[in-house]
Amino acid sequence: MSKPKASQFEAGESEKANASIALAQNNYFDEVYMPKQKEMTEAAFRDEKTLMDTAEGRANADTFIALTENPNRNAVAAVNTQADLASALSDMSLQGTTQGIIGARSDQTNAIKSANKLQADTQTGLSQIAKIENTETLNMAKANLDTSLGYMKGLTNIGKGLAYRKGLNEGKYG
Amino acid sequence: MAVRQAKNYTSSGSPNYDALGLPDVQDPDKVFGDILREDYADYINNFRGYENRLLGMTDDTTLIDRARRNTARQAEIAAGVQKRNLERYGGAGLSAAQIQAQKAAAQRGNALSMTNTVNNARMRQRDINQALLRDLIGIGQGINSSSLAGLATAAQGQSARDSAYKNAKSSYRSGLIGMGTSILAAFAI
Repeated sequence: MSKPKASQFEAGESEKANASIALAQNNYFDEVYMPKQKEMTEAAFRDEKTLMDTAEGRANADTFIALTENPNRNAVAAVNTQADLASALSDMSLQGTTQGIIGARSDQTNAIKSANKLQADTQTGLSQIAKIENTETLNMAKANLDTSLGYMKGLTNIGKGLAYRKGLNEGKYG
Repeated sequence: MAVRQAKNYTSSGSPNYDALGLPDVQDPDKVFGDILREDYADYINNFRGYENRLLGMTDDTTLIDRARRNTARQAEIAAGVQKRNLERYGGAGLSAAQIQAQKAAAQRGNALSMTNTVNNARMRQRDINQALLRDLIGIGQGINSSSLAGLATAAQGQSARDSAYKNAKSSYRSGLIGMGTSILAAFAI
């Protein structure tokens, strides 16, 4: 009976090859992917304000397009126009900030999940900004504006009708 | 069908993989241990700071602060728009009393808007903070379960080694006893 030798318990060729490839892959990960992961994490925390600013900007632009693209005398003279615009702007702005902050938090938690080797979501924070929806306040302000434009159109039509009738009475149309 | 590339065989008959630059590993266990420690050091150096920042955001008030600031600014912007439009339409035929009424309505609107927006911001901020807390708890659970898995692997390895050592000791002892009895038996004959 011979004593067991240490050499009999060394790693075999396949085991060494396996370890060698794993080490090469690990080195590759450290060189190539680790800096990217670090970059992504840095960006997720650095860009929080940018995401909120962008989303607010978009929300404000939506509000201005809806409420100020067609200024008219009636709207300017209406008692609530300024208040409507201000509340729609702040409501939409809040909507924008909310989407921006949700997007930023999602980027940040995903970065930390990846760092901890946990399953992370694939949706980016920027795509969250696309989810800005019109708020009730903006819709109501737009409805007020549409009503005022509707009155104007209605009055114009009545005016046109009266003018036509006058012309008809005066025999202008044959 | 995939075609395997011809390999550059060495004199010993085995293929030559030198060009791949694979590292030479004699002790996989040591390499694995080193990588684990290095991974942990990378994590601490690169990500722990950010993780702590995220953990500190569960009482964040950014949304409320920005809502308060933005609402005041939006009121100013709306007043500017109204002022320019009034100038554009030559006062829009409004009397001084009507302009006064417009201003009063704007002031009331601004006050209501501030209250409404900040209240909404508070509720949304709470939602966002709660969602972050949920995510953080999920991350914590993940870290806890992977650390337990790591410990379980180490403990299993230790107990396997202990029993292998006991087995080896007892089989060596029984071998010695067997050999001794054989020698004694030979003398007895």
